[in-house]
Amino acid sequence: MPNVKITLDGAQYEVDNKKTILEAARDNKIHIPHFCYHDKLSASGNCRICLVEVEKMPKLAISCMTQVAEGMIINTKNERVINAREAVMEFILINHPLDCPICDEAGECKLQDYAYKYSKGFSRFVDTKNHKEKRVEIGPRVMFDAERCISCSRCIRFCDEIAGVHQLQFVNRGDRVTIQTFPGESLDNPYSMNVVDICPVGALTNKDFRFKSRVWEMSFTDSVCHGCARGCNIEIGVRNNEILRLNPRRNDDVNSAWMCDHGRLNTWKNVNAENRIKSSKIRKEGQLVEVGWDEAIAKAASELKSFGKNEIAVLGSAFATNEDNYVFAKFAREVLGTRNIDFCPHVEGTDDAVLIRADKTPNASGAELVGIVPQENGMDFQQIISAIKAGKIKALYCLEDDIASVPGIEDALSNLEFFAVHATNHSKTTQYAHVVFAASTYAEKNGTVTNFQKRVQRVRPAVTTFEQDRALDNFEMSRWDKFAAHNDKWGKGPRRDARPSWKIITSIAGVMGTKYKFNNADDVFNEICQKIDGFKGLSYLKVGVKGAVVKQNHVAV
Amino acid sequence: MEKFILPEIKDHHQIDVYEQHGGYAALKKAVQMKPDEVIDEVKKSGLRGRGGACFPTGLKWSFMPKGNDKPKYLAVNGDESEPGTFKDRQIFEFNPHLLIEGIIIGCYAMGINAAYIYIRGEYGKWISMVDKALADAYAKGYIGINILGTGFSTNIYTHQGAGAYICGEESALMNSVEGERGYPRIKPPFPAQRGLWGAPTTINNVETMSNIPLIINKGAEWYSKIGVAKHPGPILVGISGHVNNPGVYEIPTGVPLLTLINDPQYGGGVPGGKSIKAVIPGGSSTMILRGENLEGVNMDADSLKAAGSSVGTAGIMVMDEDTDLVRVLARIAHFYHHESCGQCTPCREGTGWLEKMLHRFEHYEARKEDVDMLVNVANQIEGNTVCALGDAAAWPVQSFVKRFREEFEKRVKEKEEINAA
Ligand SMILES: Cc1cc2nc3c(=O)[nH]c(=O)nc-3n(C[C@H](O)[C@H](O)[C@H](O)COP(=O)(O)O)c2cc1C
Ligand code: SF4
Ligand code: SF4
Repeated sequence: MPNVKITLDGAQYEVDNKKTILEAARDNKIHIPHFCYHDKLSASGNCRICLVEVEKMPKLAISCMTQVAEGMIINTKNERVINAREAVMEFILINHPLDCPICDEAGECKLQDYAYKYSKGFSRFVDTKNHKEKRVEIGPRVMFDAERCISCSRCIRFCDEIAGVHQLQFVNRGDRVTIQTFPGESLDNPYSMNVVDICPVGALTNKDFRFKSRVWEMSFTDSVCHGCARGCNIEIGVRNNEILRLNPRRNDDVNSAWMCDHGRLNTWKNVNAENRIKSSKIRKEGQLVEVGWDEAIAKAASELKSFGKNEIAVLGSAFATNEDNYVFAKFAREVLGTRNIDFCPHVEGTDDAVLIRADKTPNASGAELVGIVPQENGMDFQQIISAIKAGKIKALYCLEDDIASVPGIEDALSNLEFFAVHATNHSKTTQYAHVVFAASTYAEKNGTVTNFQKRVQRVRPAVTTFEQDRALDNFEMSRWDKFAAHNDKWGKGPRRDARPSWKIITSIAGVMGTKYKFNNADDVFNEICQKIDGFKGLSYLKVGVKGAVVKQNHVAV
Repeated sequence: MEKFILPEIKDHHQIDVYEQHGGYAALKKAVQMKPDEVIDEVKKSGLRGRGGACFPTGLKWSFMPKGNDKPKYLAVNGDESEPGTFKDRQIFEFNPHLLIEGIIIGCYAMGINAAYIYIRGEYGKWISMVDKALADAYAKGYIGINILGTGFSTNIYTHQGAGAYICGEESALMNSVEGERGYPRIKPPFPAQRGLWGAPTTINNVETMSNIPLIINKGAEWYSKIGVAKHPGPILVGISGHVNNPGVYEIPTGVPLLTLINDPQYGGGVPGGKSIKAVIPGGSSTMILRGENLEGVNMDADSLKAAGSSVGTAGIMVMDEDTDLVRVLARIAHFYHHESCGQCTPCREGTGWLEKMLHRFEHYEARKEDVDMLVNVANQIEGNTVCALGDAAAWPVQSFVKRFREEFEKRVKEKEEINAA
């Protein structure tokens, strides 16, 4: 609550007296440069680049740790401050290797940016630079270059305060200072890779991403991690239509500024993988063979028609979007007329104290909310599996989920007379399928997922499929995407003939005689918002980049 | 003058001898007083800290919150690592009970139940001497539970440093005592608000604490008349360098610097009768003075301030006419580079840069512009750091170049010469 008046660079502001000068300035759109300060970590006050002049204080004050007070007169840009700032930049750079041309951080480096903005642009240093260790495997997923380190201590504070493990520490003194783990130990906590993001320089790099791409050759698309029910907000980094890395995106209501290493590394490799299902398939003489969309859709439609309502079950998916699940549930009820609707849960272990949830799916609560629940007298997941084993359920239609990987399910699948799946990659499950629809991954479609807090969050396409175009479909574009010549390789990376599940289901419904007017994901979401209580009042616009929570007293359809 | 801190009494470090000569009488007197009366007495005495900054001790004590409801601590600084300083060691060896008595009185005055004497690790022998003295004082009931039947209790522990100068900086010292890395803390909060383990803490130098029993015994009035009025009391000066009698001397403040260097009862003059080129009056971080400017400069805070330097830790380093001051400064710069904790940018990077430049001066490889650049780099450090080590590294450079510029200019090579070499 603003309760004190201060003067910042000559202008008056009312600010909250609990804020530091740096925060009060930031709230009023005045940027004070900082390296060690990070708003999610305790302040360490040691980089000294945020020094500002406060009237009546003899020395310059660090704005990151000096609280504002009534009547304070602060200068962030006068000559004295600028001199001190340039001095700090000069000091940091004297021993810095200046190896931006081979550094992964280049292009998103605070030091590089500040060197342009806040330094003199030349160095007076003519002596020999200090040398330190290069390529230190400080952890299984993180590489450390001691020469680039500016000793800001952000990584140490992250481990202590956020990951909750004391894994990093400074050793040595003066300009020999470097970070280390205890002998024999390593930076291996489940959140270790966040240090790569918060390291203001290229001292800590992501081993999985190292040397893969210059960041300015990549596009970054806002999305949501699919590693667990937290749904950490992320950016998907893409070059040449391939995902190269994920980064956490800030959302204080969900993941603060972090994500876990598992989500960062393991939730997107399938998009680029060799075993991608690049187009739809049907089983002919025991083999899955590629067919066109029309043939696959016609096959599924005619097969499904041939079973009685009670012989069919459908499994939605906690990995698919609300849109996919909604259309699927609607189709199951209205077209197939089955009451046997559920999805396969994937709960492993327990929630941890930071982000990781035991529910390893991104959209279990969304699937339920939009109607993936057994209807009156219908079977639930376990009952469906038993009924398949007993031969009562003869046809199963399953959305994006490798259900065969769940113990005890596989035998049931061989019992089925007809099994249709939507899948992004070949899996145990697709081995049993009679029709496999090539489904778009979460990185190739628009939609929403609902996390464990019942927060609806948006996924957006970052990688193009056959039916999309980067420019026409409003994708995020890298410099290369925008400016590369026609015959350049950029933008010509692998594309797959995949479609979002809701769209595939809409086509099947059409062939089976029920026309749904869903032309794009917005249409589906708008209907969800009309039909489903908790979603009332929402829209993609309202969900925005930070998500929106559904109304709690929701009753499942 | 009579010696109070280092009296010339045989075996004065032994508790019996100490007691025979009036030892622990001040403690007995103090516990009859109200704690605030003790603080007032220290305030009135005019005692200023002997750890380098000359901060008024009574005022510092009065910053401590009153009452005994929460833990409070006293940290006694015996890290003594500033080059040219070796006075606290004499107290550890020759009068440890004076220090201990002072600490107990301080604890009583501030309502503190635990004190740490932080002693540099290299002082192994002296740590054991202090430990022995503490054990004897415990045995006699001067320390521990219910001291002298007053109901007041306090413990005193020694804590051994591990070789870092920075751990003499009061907040780094506290981190070190806590078992953390010896990094200075950001101030505010000041130690009296949040010190050891987050509790209010006072830090005083070993010599400062050793003055307390004198003040209590003989009164603030008496004490304040020793030496100069604004910086009174006995003070230990360590004289080193080019003098015939290097050593630690107890003097009343205000003795002329030249007397200290030349008088036979002190330094005893420069060997070989050489002239004095320069003097660093208060430990390596204080500003250097030219030999010809020493007339009228006395060993007290105001006089040295007027002369453009400071008392610091009263470590007087004398350099004769043949001294290579560039080498001296290079050696000092090496020390601060070696000892910078590395926490904050200007000191971490700047101290190394200064040393590298001075190395070039030392080897006649500096450029003309390096003379001003030295000062400029020092200026860029001064005042912009977390702790005063940055200033301590800057002051010698600033003062050496300012007062002995010719020595640096002599070491400069023309560009052509550098290129030819
Ligand atoms: C880098 C640095 C090193 C210091 N080393 C010592 C030391 O060894 N002994 C000491 O008493 N004070 C030292 N000080 C000063 C202490 O921070 C503190 O001011 C002093 O112990 C207070 O005691 P006093 O008030 O009794 O003088 C040092 C200060 C700095 C900045
Ligand atoms: S590795 Fe990076 S985050 Fe860690 S201290 Fe160095 S610069 Fe800071
Ligand atoms: S001034 Fe030097 S010694 Fe003090 S905190 Fe900064 S780096 Fe450490």
